[in-house]
Amino acid sequence: MKLKLLAYITLGLVLTLAGCAKDNYEPPTSVLSGRVVYNDQPVGVRSNGVQLELWQPGFQLYQKIPIYVAQDGTFSASLFDGDYKLIPLRGNGPWATKTDTINVQVRGSATVDVPVDPYFVIKNEKVQRNANTIDATFNLQQVNTSRKLERVNLYIGTTTIVDANNSGANAQMLASSITNLSQPVTLSINLPASLSSKSYVYARIGVKTEGVGELVYSAPVKIQLK
Amino acid sequence: MKSIYKYILVGVFASSFSGCKPDLEVEPNLILQGELVWNDPTLAIGVLANYYDRLPIHTQLTVDANATTGLLGWPGAARYDEAIWSGSSDNTRNNIISYPFTDWQLWDYTLIRDINLALEDLSKSTQLTAVQKAQYTAELRFIRAYVYFEHVKRMGGVPIITSTLQYDFSGDPSPLRRPRNKESEVYDFIGSEVDAIKNELGNTGSNTRANKYTALALKSRAMLYAGSIAKYNAPYIGTLSLPNGEVGIPAEMAQGYYQKSLEASKEIINSGVYSLYKANTGNLGENFFEALTIKANNPEVIWAQDYLQAKGRVHNFAYNNIARSIREDNLASSSLAPTLNLVEDFEYLNGTSGELKGVGTGSNTAVGQQNWIFYTNLQDIFANKDARLYGTIMYPGTSFKARPLNIQAGVYVWNATTNKYDRFEGDLNSVYTDGKMLTGGGGPQRSAIDVTNTGFYVKKYMDTKTNTSSRGLGTDMWWVRFRLGEIYLNASEAAFELGLQSEALMYVNMIRERAGFGPNSLTTLTLERLQNERRVEMAFEDHRLWDLKRWRIAHILWNGVTGSPDATMYALYPYRIVRPGHPDDGKYVFDKIVAPRFQSPRFFQLGNYYSAIDQSIINNNPLIVRNPLH
Repeated sequence: MKLKLLAYITLGLVLTLAGCAKDNYEPPTSVLSGRVVYNDQPVGVRSNGVQLELWQPGFQLYQKIPIYVAQDGTFSASLFDGDYKLIPLRGNGPWATKTDTINVQVRGSATVDVPVDPYFVIKNEKVQRNANTIDATFNLQQVNTSRKLERVNLYIGTTTIVDANNSGANAQMLASSITNLSQPVTLSINLPASLSSKSYVYARIGVKTEGVGELVYSAPVKIQLK
Repeated sequence: MKSIYKYILVGVFASSFSGCKPDLEVEPNLILQGELVWNDPTLAIGVLANYYDRLPIHTQLTVDANATTGLLGWPGAARYDEAIWSGSSDNTRNNIISYPFTDWQLWDYTLIRDINLALEDLSKSTQLTAVQKAQYTAELRFIRAYVYFEHVKRMGGVPIITSTLQYDFSGDPSPLRRPRNKESEVYDFIGSEVDAIKNELGNTGSNTRANKYTALALKSRAMLYAGSIAKYNAPYIGTLSLPNGEVGIPAEMAQGYYQKSLEASKEIINSGVYSLYKANTGNLGENFFEALTIKANNPEVIWAQDYLQAKGRVHNFAYNNIARSIREDNLASSSLAPTLNLVEDFEYLNGTSGELKGVGTGSNTAVGQQNWIFYTNLQDIFANKDARLYGTIMYPGTSFKARPLNIQAGVYVWNATTNKYDRFEGDLNSVYTDGKMLTGGGGPQRSAIDVTNTGFYVKKYMDTKTNTSSRGLGTDMWWVRFRLGEIYLNASEAAFELGLQSEALMYVNMIRERAGFGPNSLTTLTLERLQNERRVEMAFEDHRLWDLKRWRIAHILWNGVTGSPDATMYALYPYRIVRPGHPDDGKYVFDKIVAPRFQSPRFFQLGNYYSAIDQSIINNNPLIVRNPLH
């Protein structure tokens, strides 16, 4: 009796194992990667904040594949081979809305740059430590003039992922204090106790445009404290 | 023998044919046909009751068991900044990384079609009197307008369908497809429907079925929403708008909407039918509590979703949310814990900002204790505050149902060697070595379930009757949808936006006077002032989220930044001082800390202002455009 039960269980397990290979689809293996660029330079954003839409026409159910841009302006997605259309999600990123669609052919792998028209870019940024403060100096350049500056921020945090939502401390200057865009802007943070004990921090500058949710950021800078 | 079988067989065979026809003509006794319902006033009212009951809910007193998102009903109130979740160990409401775009989505064309069908059947009725027909028609149209309001405040413009769409079985459903109307068109539809039906609604004096003033209250609120969206969405045109106006109202329409809202509010106020509840002149806090919870002859409530113990129509809001120390069941309690953020938004009666005075940081260091004020009684820290605080929230040092709440987190014992107080916390109802209370039966506790995590309990909508917080009995507390208090604030805001400063002040000061501020307590007005007034007057009445959305400040307050004072939810932990022989012995101190069970700062993104339209809806009807940022 016991033996019979064992036999059934074995049979069941064998069938279960055998069933595996039949049921599963191959995962997508092709990779689409690229950058969001302005003047061939990647545009820094908040990690997981900015979305690109990927559409694949020609199928009955027409549904987008959202691709989130990493904070350094790069993105990648695993896909099946095919012809896709890529567009930035309207109104989402810190750049003016474009209706241009980029046609992408994915055959094994593909790389594509998505040019955007940012409202502001950060230039000549310099971040350094002075005693117990972190000071940043940078220039702002307005590219698309359809929206106004709201504020600039300096964020510091303990990991490379630094942005408005992930920071240990931040300093802020409203647009009303920035009268002349040709002059460099200076921001300074007093290191709070929670960060001054660390051996290093990362700093990043963010620029907020009125009426747009996401900020444009500089690349994170590592600052040795000890 | 065999021949008998043959006859039987033939007989059965024959009768099976003859039985067919009459069977198919039997009237179904489980489904009532439209012409039957709309020729019988009793049945007609039954159908109306069904539609009232199916109105979309958000943070009402019941939980919608069919809600797929599990967010609808009172537990949703723990997802914003009025309360956090202190109930069962499911901590998701305290740990919302960001609000999903699917939150608050609604697409209830089943209900809209049912109403349209009822309207069509009703128009064919032969037995009802003309008066009855006119009244039921008006009532159905009111319900439909309210359902459209629930849609537009969540989704932006939706297709306005006012008749049933019939499929012709041609194999092509595309003639049934309707595009989304403009957001402004849906608000205009609500306004014009109210104007068309308000004089035919009847139901005078009812606060559960719609009458003229219920309809006007809907208009007052809807037009105010439309006006503020037109005004405050202006900076977001391009990001938070759609090219054909399905989302986003042109800024130049704001004045017109504010004007309509003010007119509707004034018609209610000037009618004299309703008045602010002021029956309890001796205790203004208790009076405010009664204003929402006394059901008999309540002069203030315009429209409520009612329950009735005698008919077994009850709910478990009290069971789930009663203070732990006075619960009458052996499970649950304390699910919604009001935040210190809300408590501090209640101003002091002298008009100063409501931050509590002399609270420590809870760091258990000498520095964290240096700001302490030593209070003789627990409730003294709340002295001279807006009376509405007492009517809305159960706070330390108070009682409910004549039973003390015993809210005390622990004791601070003087340590002469380190020159500071040492903190001790224990189990519920524990006793310290000096024989007095260590941790009270009402908490707060840092990680326990079913006891407040913030130091506060909800009082609004709590039932004072014995055993109503047990599952056996349940509570028949009603849910107030519209009340005169809101209408005053709507009028004040609309007048303020129209530049009618003195009129705006008059209305808001009447609300503040009832809260104990004295006559004409405000002499100047700002929008921030009115925003705070709405927050404290209508806490837990399902206004906060929608108000922040229409003012377009939800993403600024709930910015997802760790440590941000508006996105982080705080708690207030009271302690007894143990320092024998010292004048402070036996006094109380308070620590303000981030609520221990609260994990992620509230994060509302621009894409949350309009909920996502489900992909299946777009697949079925490609004319539906997606909302911005989705």
